[in-house]
Amino acid sequence: MNVKAWRMGACEALPLLSGYLPVALSFGLIAGQAGFSPLEATALSLFIYAGASQFLFVGMIAGGAPLWLTVVMTLLINARHLVYSITLAPWISQNRRWPWLMHGLTDQVFALANYRLPLLSEHDRISWFSSTAIVAWAGWGGGTLMGSLAGEQLIQRWPLLANAMTFALPALFWVLLAPRFTSIRWFIALLASVLSALMLSLHDMTNIAIPLAAALGALCFYLLPASTARTRS
Amino acid sequence: MNGAIWWAAAATAVGTFLIRMLPLYVMQRCMSRVSDIERERQLPEWPGVLAPLMIAALLGLSLPPHPSSALGWSSMVVGSLATLCLWYKTRTLGLPVAAGVAAYTLMLFIGS
Repeated sequence: MNVKAWRMGACEALPLLSGYLPVALSFGLIAGQAGFSPLEATALSLFIYAGASQFLFVGMIAGGAPLWLTVVMTLLINARHLVYSITLAPWISQNRRWPWLMHGLTDQVFALANYRLPLLSEHDRISWFSSTAIVAWAGWGGGTLMGSLAGEQLIQRWPLLANAMTFALPALFWVLLAPRFTSIRWFIALLASVLSALMLSLHDMTNIAIPLAAALGALCFYLLPASTARTRS
Repeated sequence: MNGAIWWAAAATAVGTFLIRMLPLYVMQRCMSRVSDIERERQLPEWPGVLAPLMIAALLGLSLPPHPSSALGWSSMVVGSLATLCLWYKTRTLGLPVAAGVAAYTLMLFIGS
């Protein structure tokens, strides 16, 4: 175990935690309203651990949807995660612990790992990823428990804080993305993805926004002539 | 939560884990059989293109403020600008995020 890499991973997961807490609080609150006990809601968060699809899972069950359909729909939303571990594979060693650590590979952990893993030595990567994933996972589970037990009171008492904390995630994504604006080609492709996801989100199509917006960005990237791929100095 | 719902939750949890883990497991198995040079050659190029675009999509998805209001949108713009300006100056991870959240909160506080 590399203590320095562990500490670095835990520190870098803090913005994730700040973004996770308000959403996890809301999930705990909604799960409670749907009839799940605090323990059950926390178990869902710890074992499924998939943000938006958990809301769908709880909502469909509360609405009386068939269980098989609930499972299929939830897994369909999570299908985008198929690409994440393939993308990180070049920086992942043959260590047998890596596949188990993929339980912690959420959208946000992927974004952070995609930025950080290439910059670390092979020896440090597993320690960094373990601590990042554990801090985020514990934050999500802890936030759900808090939301189930006292979500309504917490949100009522500190509405501004809960609102402000949600900006940690977009701020983190800006920082992770900023170094990628290296050419006109990348600029247009990234902007197409950002804007299309934003539009889809505004039209309540959040579940398909990520794959669709990324596909649109990829289309722009591959359609643009190579002359626009010049790197900025 | 009755037994059937527990089974549905378990199936969802196992399915989600397999979606995240299996592609890596398969790639690790394939890569373990080839040399380092061959490994470089076998890695597809498309994940390197798709990864930043998926992060861009995550950014777009996380930008709309909740609840949506003129104050929320202007706070988002100010917070984003503060984040990017500090990133440009420092090229670090933590400080620009903290500055962005501070600017966003300040705007909300002034406007409320």
